[in-house]
Amino acid sequence: MIDKKKVLLAPLDPVHDIGLKMIKRGLENKGHETILIPPDYSPEEIIKSIIDNDVDIVLVSRTLGYGVAEVLGKFIDLAEASGIRDKVKIGIGGMAVRPELAAELGFDAGFGPGTSVDEAVAFVEGREYVPAENRSKKNKKDITEGYDYLFHNKKIEKLLDSIVDGILDYVSDKTTTAIQRAQIRRQILESNSESEKQKLRRDYSKLCDDVIKSFYESGKYREKTRPMTNDEVDALNQYVDAVNSRMNPLYLQHVDKNPVVFIQYGTGCPFMDIAHIKSCEAWGADGAVHFDPSWGARTEGFLEGYITHEEDGSVITYENLKSIKKSLLPNTLWQVRAHRGLNTPETVLLAGKIGADLTKINIAYGSLGGGTDPERLTVDAVEAIKYAAEFNMPFDVVTNEELCGVPAYKAFAGMLIVSKLGLRLGAKPILQPLFCYSPEVMISGQMEDNYVDFNAAKIYCLRNIVNAPIWCGAPIGFLTQTEDRVQSSLMTSLHASLASSLGVDGISIASSDEAFSGGPITIPARIDTLRATQSSFRFFGQSNIVPTDNAHKWAKEIEEGIEAVLELVLKNGNFVNALYQGILGSKEDGAYPGRAGRDSVMKKIY
Amino acid sequence: MSDVLEKIMDAIDIETYIVSKNEDEAEKFAMELMEKLGFKDISIVFIQHRGPGARVRARGYIYKPGDRYGWLFN
Repeated sequence: MIDKKKVLLAPLDPVHDIGLKMIKRGLENKGHETILIPPDYSPEEIIKSIIDNDVDIVLVSRTLGYGVAEVLGKFIDLAEASGIRDKVKIGIGGMAVRPELAAELGFDAGFGPGTSVDEAVAFVEGREYVPAENRSKKNKKDITEGYDYLFHNKKIEKLLDSIVDGILDYVSDKTTTAIQRAQIRRQILESNSESEKQKLRRDYSKLCDDVIKSFYESGKYREKTRPMTNDEVDALNQYVDAVNSRMNPLYLQHVDKNPVVFIQYGTGCPFMDIAHIKSCEAWGADGAVHFDPSWGARTEGFLEGYITHEEDGSVITYENLKSIKKSLLPNTLWQVRAHRGLNTPETVLLAGKIGADLTKINIAYGSLGGGTDPERLTVDAVEAIKYAAEFNMPFDVVTNEELCGVPAYKAFAGMLIVSKLGLRLGAKPILQPLFCYSPEVMISGQMEDNYVDFNAAKIYCLRNIVNAPIWCGAPIGFLTQTEDRVQSSLMTSLHASLASSLGVDGISIASSDEAFSGGPITIPARIDTLRATQSSFRFFGQSNIVPTDNAHKWAKEIEEGIEAVLELVLKNGNFVNALYQGILGSKEDGAYPGRAGRDSVMKKIY
Repeated sequence: MSDVLEKIMDAIDIETYIVSKNEDEAEKFAMELMEKLGFKDISIVFIQHRGPGARVRARGYIYKPGDRYGWLFN
């Protein structure tokens, strides 16, 4: 049972006493007696009040910074001289106060900016302050939870089913070296015999490009990559352990409807990636997305070991991914992208084996905007989706071909085809519309007045079609940000709140370095946008941003456009040919069928 | 490199306002400032000149990805 105390609350300040009023309420809720005196009392008058009221504890606040040390020093000297110092506990707090200053002057406690009411109450009650458990423990959120993938637009569903039938029939007798490598990699990971592993590595290297083959045959590293040294690996483990022991992550979300927030990393170095991820976790990021190097997508086969890279994108190896996964807090969502390139099945396999939560697959984007041959990626992606289903990893279907200039309705048609394919194969797709200032609207003018309506139209459209999770990408606000970190952070945070207002499940945010191309993204730039997003969520709470009538009008137009594109794909008879022919994004739109892996699909040998 | 610089994770940004006639002059001053402060790998991340001067954010990279990071070993 806690003794009830008599507490004097004294603003040693000309005007400010809000903090003391909040503490007063907190103390009274706990049954303590409080006396709040008005601002602008002199130190002498406050000492007199302490004596006259015979209080147990005094909480003094000071907001104004000028002369703070002198004023507080005078106050504590008077307290000593008046003989109350031994009988009364005195704490000080406020914007101008730092705990070090309080200790130096001889106060019993000092509470700086950010002090909670509970902390002050704990001081009064003479107990140790323990932050509330529910705010210090974050949970990992399944953003697909609660979605049944029921199609509201039955016409679109029927078209998608027919197209998916065609895709599965098309790939049924085909394979690729990527599929074979994934099968071998699985055997390597599951084998307990070193000699068998060596044999499997030899088999693996035969299916790789020369640059990878020479790594397995002669230990030669690709240019601009190098192995991490043992002392670097040891130091990283110690660094992560030390950081995790003092982690107390912030929350970005202010209300339940705020989406989970992902950051994207890929500095080139897995250690720098981990350092960035740990800092982002601390500042409230809920998830991290792994970016691999662009050359990795054009190269047949993966390297092995802890490998760093001097350019953007972090090399995918089992060891690199494993070290990143090991560093994460238990609540952090982790995505490994497999949306383009010549190693998509193995990427998803590795991600699944290591315990990633999410992956990223989209045949249309990967082959029209990501440089991979459409036929090759179709065959590989079906296998990749099967791995995603096996490892229970939802995958987002990103539509960044819009950044090439492909209109939303075409990109969405491709996204819905791959999503339906995923559902058919037992996986959980997540719709990922681009949530930004895309070339389509730059040309057509839908964002001349505001950045709200067309983004809202996309979400309305998808919600009209299917009950599926939506994760806005990637990153939100792309092409609205400048090199100015304030403007950049603001644009990110406003897009975050718009996404929240529209009820989406996840967002990927950029750093405030998004528009800066002169060097690597820095960690302060990542913290800028995390802080901005947190503030924006706080600002809007449960309130909503209201789009104009254009949003619903454009949503309908996009939906009609999707239907027309799907009809064309079906009429064309073959999804792969539709990709080559530009039905899901043409050269005129700015989309070009990728060339990596052209003519590399093989007939299966039974 | 002094010990404290080894504690910088990646870069140091200097944000300031430079009294200048135009953006080119401001950029020149910003580069001079960073060099004077001893930075080697310098970038002007943001610069905007209006009227009396320029708002500037200049960056000196301490570590770039792939380097051997001092903070990792302490």
